[in-house]
Amino acid sequence: MRRNSIQNRLIASVLLSQALLTIGLAVTGVAYTYWRLLSTLDSGMQSHALRIGALVRYVDNSNGKVYFDDSLLPPPLDPERPDLFVVWASRSGLLFRSPGWPEGLELQPGEDLHWNLEYAGTPYHALRLTRVKILDRGEGRAFRPQTLTIIYASPTSHLRQQVKAAGAYIALISLGLMLLTLGLAFAGVRSGLRPLQTLASQAGLVSARNWELRIPSQVEQVEELRPLVEAMTQMLDRLRRSFELQRQFLASAAHELKTPVAVLKSTLQQTLQRPRNNEEYQLALEHSLEDLGRLEQLLLSMLRLARAEQWAEGALRRDLEEIDIASTLLEAMERAQPLAEAHHVRIDLAEAGGLIFRADPEDLQTVWSNLLENAIRYSPEGSTIELKLGREADRLEVQVSDHGAGVPAKDLPHIFERFYRGDGSRTRGSGGFGLGLAIARALVEAYGGTIRAESGPGHGTRMTVTLPADRNPVAPPGEKTPDVAS
Amino acid sequence: MRVLIVEDESRLAENIARSLREIAGYAVDLAADGPQGLQLASRNAYDLIILDLMLPGFDGRQLLVQLREAGQQTPVLILTARDDKESLVALLNSGADDYLTKPFDLGELLARAKVLIRRGKGQPSPLLTVGDLQINTVDHTVRRGERAITLTAMEYRVLEYLAHRSGAVVSKSELLEHLYDYNWEKFSNVIEVYISGLRRKLNDGKQRQLIHTLRNQGYTLQE
Repeated sequence: MRRNSIQNRLIASVLLSQALLTIGLAVTGVAYTYWRLLSTLDSGMQSHALRIGALVRYVDNSNGKVYFDDSLLPPPLDPERPDLFVVWASRSGLLFRSPGWPEGLELQPGEDLHWNLEYAGTPYHALRLTRVKILDRGEGRAFRPQTLTIIYASPTSHLRQQVKAAGAYIALISLGLMLLTLGLAFAGVRSGLRPLQTLASQAGLVSARNWELRIPSQVEQVEELRPLVEAMTQMLDRLRRSFELQRQFLASAAHELKTPVAVLKSTLQQTLQRPRNNEEYQLALEHSLEDLGRLEQLLLSMLRLARAEQWAEGALRRDLEEIDIASTLLEAMERAQPLAEAHHVRIDLAEAGGLIFRADPEDLQTVWSNLLENAIRYSPEGSTIELKLGREADRLEVQVSDHGAGVPAKDLPHIFERFYRGDGSRTRGSGGFGLGLAIARALVEAYGGTIRAESGPGHGTRMTVTLPADRNPVAPPGEKTPDVAS
Repeated sequence: MRVLIVEDESRLAENIARSLREIAGYAVDLAADGPQGLQLASRNAYDLIILDLMLPGFDGRQLLVQLREAGQQTPVLILTARDDKESLVALLNSGADDYLTKPFDLGELLARAKVLIRRGKGQPSPLLTVGDLQINTVDHTVRRGERAITLTAMEYRVLEYLAHRSGAVVSKSELLEHLYDYNWEKFSNVIEVYISGLRRKLNDGKQRQLIHTLRNQGYTLQE
């Protein structure tokens, strides 16, 4: 992957904009200088041309003839590159060409008022004045006065030099400024990015033992870092919660496994404590197998719960299908039948409309089975467990009601917690591990539903599972459909 | 010796009980929940109570506290699945004498049970000595001087109990109480049979008697 440096990019963009600015300024500056110089030159040339025009005089009594009095002509300023000029009179034609008029340079009165030309490697700027009045009044005034056309050209090489000097001056200043900007940008970006580094080193201190992300005030003050800090804090919270959940699960799982292991171990040790006969060994093996069976059941239940919770957290993907809830209820009823018969309890399914839900049928059957088993265990002999299925607006509801002793009020908020047993024992008599309801809740929540229990002493217990009718289960992260505002 | 096991995991309780009966020769009573455990512990004289913490009714810790508040001195060995220091310390502070974390070793449980019973009787050594009589409570062997004495299981139990309480007067009913669990019918003349058997085996004729009978009071084991 290409490495990308924010610092370098920021500095580069600062320098680039500075360079563009400089170029723009230099070009404008040079152009302006050139224009200023040129217009100065222009006005100078105009006054020169007019002064030259003033040297045109009428020939006395000639009826308007004119001549150029070159005796009054000032000497050229720069003999190397003298100013050039040509004077025409409107009727007399060409009157005068400046001394040193270059051979072969033809200047005819044309249309242009200003133009550039080059002669012998020297650039010239030329200017044409037309209809210049002759200052000399002449004798008699009986003729129509002539007008003059003057072309005046000055070399512009010195002008170019001045422009170049100005350009060089601007460039030098800009370079200095750019270096200064570079330094400032470097320092600014570095100090601007320092809170990010502080944040990174603080984030590096976070571990499973230390979940606290300490945000120094200098980081908190940075507006741009706020979304990052918030996201990090929230991510850490989520991670910690999930980690805590796993840790608790592991701790309680290990704790719960100890008793069945202790039972199995004691059976084997007790058997081996002294020689025994075949029947005793056989009995011991049978007991061990039973103990092992319970251990296995506990393990499987824990795995089922872990998987359901993982899925509820969005970590597992599942293949879902449209299923009829009633059919899963019937299936669960059938499964629970042997246990119900053993407890002399009847299961009664009140309604069975075709309510469709997208789910893995195994999950729903597990939920119903666990609720039914729980109800059967706490039902008195000869009583009936009622199963009810209904639809309410956008919710599907399944109710499992028993007529048992009910759950004591102090236990009611906890019965869906894993390994929770109301009377503080392992309730050997009822044969559960305290996982059935936790599994049911995890599965229901994975489908975006809720489960609740209502109970009063002597009134039995009613478990209500509510599933969202028109919603698919929570999608795994990354595939979350946007929540429709409700 | 008579031990009470309060444990709701019936298979585990049964295994411990069998082990205590078979290997240590103790009489064992079982209780499956807190109230039953409390009832048995207050009604009978036990030499040791083995107590599980997670119990239906009320838990082992409550039972322990109630026993100690009632002035019961019986040693209590706790069985617990929790092994964090805080809860173990809390247990000991509630009056437990020892604890074992599940899963435990039955051999270790037996050894600790014996230690607790000995200490409960003020006998730190596993070797009980009365005059030239030596009782090894670990392998259940008995010697008088150089001579090894072979006893039946019940005879050994009677002797061990008397040795633990050597010098004190032990009534027949106390012996019955500590040697039989509640499943047995208690006949005091059974004790007389064991005592006379013991006297015969411990006494080879010329030596002094060790077991003395105090009329209407009971027996005492001393030189």
